[in-house]
Amino acid sequence: MTKTNRRVLLSACGLALGAALLPLAPMARAQTDPARAAAFIQAVGQELVAAINNPALPHAERRRRVADILRQAVDIEGVGRFILGRWWRQATPQEQQEYLRLFEETLIRNLAARFGEYQGVQFQLGRTQQRTEDDVLVNTIITRPGTAPFALDWRVSEVGGQPRIVDVIAEGTSLRLTQRSEYSAVVQRNGGQVSALLAAMRQQIQQLAAREGQS
Amino acid sequence: MSPSPLLVALSLVAVLATGCATRPPAGDPEALAEFRETNDPAEPFNRAMYDVHQGLDRAVLRPVARGYRTVVPQPVRTGVRNVLGNLRSPVILLNDMLQGEPRRAGDTLGRFVINSTLGLGGIFDVAKSHFGVPGHTADFGQTLGRWGVGEGPYLFVPVLGPSNPRDLLGFGAGVAADPFFWVGQGAVVDGLAWGRVGATVVDTREDLLDPLDELERSSLDPYATLRSVYRQRRRAMIELRPGAEAPAGYGTGFGIGTGQDQGR
Repeated sequence: MTKTNRRVLLSACGLALGAALLPLAPMARAQTDPARAAAFIQAVGQELVAAINNPALPHAERRRRVADILRQAVDIEGVGRFILGRWWRQATPQEQQEYLRLFEETLIRNLAARFGEYQGVQFQLGRTQQRTEDDVLVNTIITRPGTAPFALDWRVSEVGGQPRIVDVIAEGTSLRLTQRSEYSAVVQRNGGQVSALLAAMRQQIQQLAAREGQS
Repeated sequence: MSPSPLLVALSLVAVLATGCATRPPAGDPEALAEFRETNDPAEPFNRAMYDVHQGLDRAVLRPVARGYRTVVPQPVRTGVRNVLGNLRSPVILLNDMLQGEPRRAGDTLGRFVINSTLGLGGIFDVAKSHFGVPGHTADFGQTLGRWGVGEGPYLFVPVLGPSNPRDLLGFGAGVAADPFFWVGQGAVVDGLAWGRVGATVVDTREDLLDPLDELERSSLDPYATLRSVYRQRRRAMIELRPGAEAPAGYGTGFGIGTGQDQGR
C-alpha cells in the first residue's frame, strides 16, 4: 500500500546497493563480456533475493549472508576509492584503511536496515549493453509486493579477472556519482579533513544498526 | 506556479547580492575540476535558501502532505495526480513537437484525448491501463537542453527545489504556454487556477514524502546529494534515456520526478 515511487529506490536501495559504485582502481582491466556480466548479475541477484527473502533466518544471519555476497560481488575497494576521489590521496594510510572498512560496513548496513521493506523482492533480467570496452550495463526490473516495478541498472566491470559490480543506476542517477558528491561535500565543509568524514560515517553506521534492531 | 517569476527574480538578485563559493586556486587542478563539475558557484547562498526551504517544509509543506496522505484515500490521490498530469498535456505536447519527436507527440495527443473523455476529465489513466500508452514528460528546460542550451549554475529555490537558470526559464515558459492558465477570467477561474497550484504543491510533496525522508535520514549532506541527483536526472531526461522520466513531471525543482501514478 505504501506508494513507493521509484525515487525511493534511488535514495533507499540506492545508497545501499548503490555504494556498489565504481572500480576506478587504475589496475589493468580486461574486456568485459556482456553475456558473462548478465549471468553474473543473474547469479548475484538470485543469491541476494534468497538471503533477503528468508524470514526463517535471524536478522543477523541474513545480514552476514548478504555481507558475504556483497564482498564477493562488489568492487568495494575500487568503488570506495572512486567515491573518495581526490581526498583519497590526502588521507593518511590509516585513514584510507579505516575509510574502506567503514565504506563496506555502510554498504552492508544500508541494505540490512531495509530487509523488512524488501520482503518478497523479485527481479528480472532485462537487456545488456556494452557501454565501453571494459564496462557493461545490465538492466533489471525489480518488483516488490504492493509497489510499482522499477528499473535498476548494474554497471559491471572485470576487476582482477572477475566480473564485479561497480555502479548502480536508478532513474538516470548513478549512485557512485551521487555518493561522491555527498562525501566530498562533507570533507570540504570540514576544512578538507577526511577524519571528519570518517566520524560522520561512524555515526551513520550506528544509526543504521539501531534501525536494524527495530525492524 | 505563478509565483515562479517572482522567485526567479528574487533568487537572481540574491545571488548577485551574496557571496559566492570560493574558487580554488589554479595551482590545484583537481579541486578546480571538482569546482567546475559541482557547478555551484553560489553555494553559500543556495545552502541558505535550502535552510529556508527546510524550515518552511518542516513547518508547513511536509505536515500538509502527511495530512493529505492520511485523510485522502489512495484512489482519490491517484485521480488527483492523473488530473494534474492530464492538464499538463498541452505543454508536454508542445515540447514533444519542439523537440522533433512526432511519436512522443502522438502519444501525448492520444493520451490527452482518451483520458479527457473516456478517463472522465483525466481522473483515470485509461490510455495507460487500457491502451498501453504510458505517459511521459517534456518541458521547456529539457527542450532548451536538447537544443544545446547549457544549464548554467546550480540554484536552489525554496518551495520549488533544485534548479538552474535554464530550467527556471523553462518553468516560466511552461506556465506562460499553458492554455489552462489563460482560459477565462473572474473569481471562479482564478480560484480554479490557484486551486491547481495548491493541489500541485501538495501532490508533489506527498509523492516525495518517502524519498525525502529517506534522503534526510541516510545522506551525510542532503543538500549535496539532492544537487547531484537533480543534475544527473536532468541530464538523463535531456538525453531521453529510458527510465529517467516520470509521466508528467514539472521540469524543475522537486517536481521533475513526480506526476506518475502511484504504485499499486
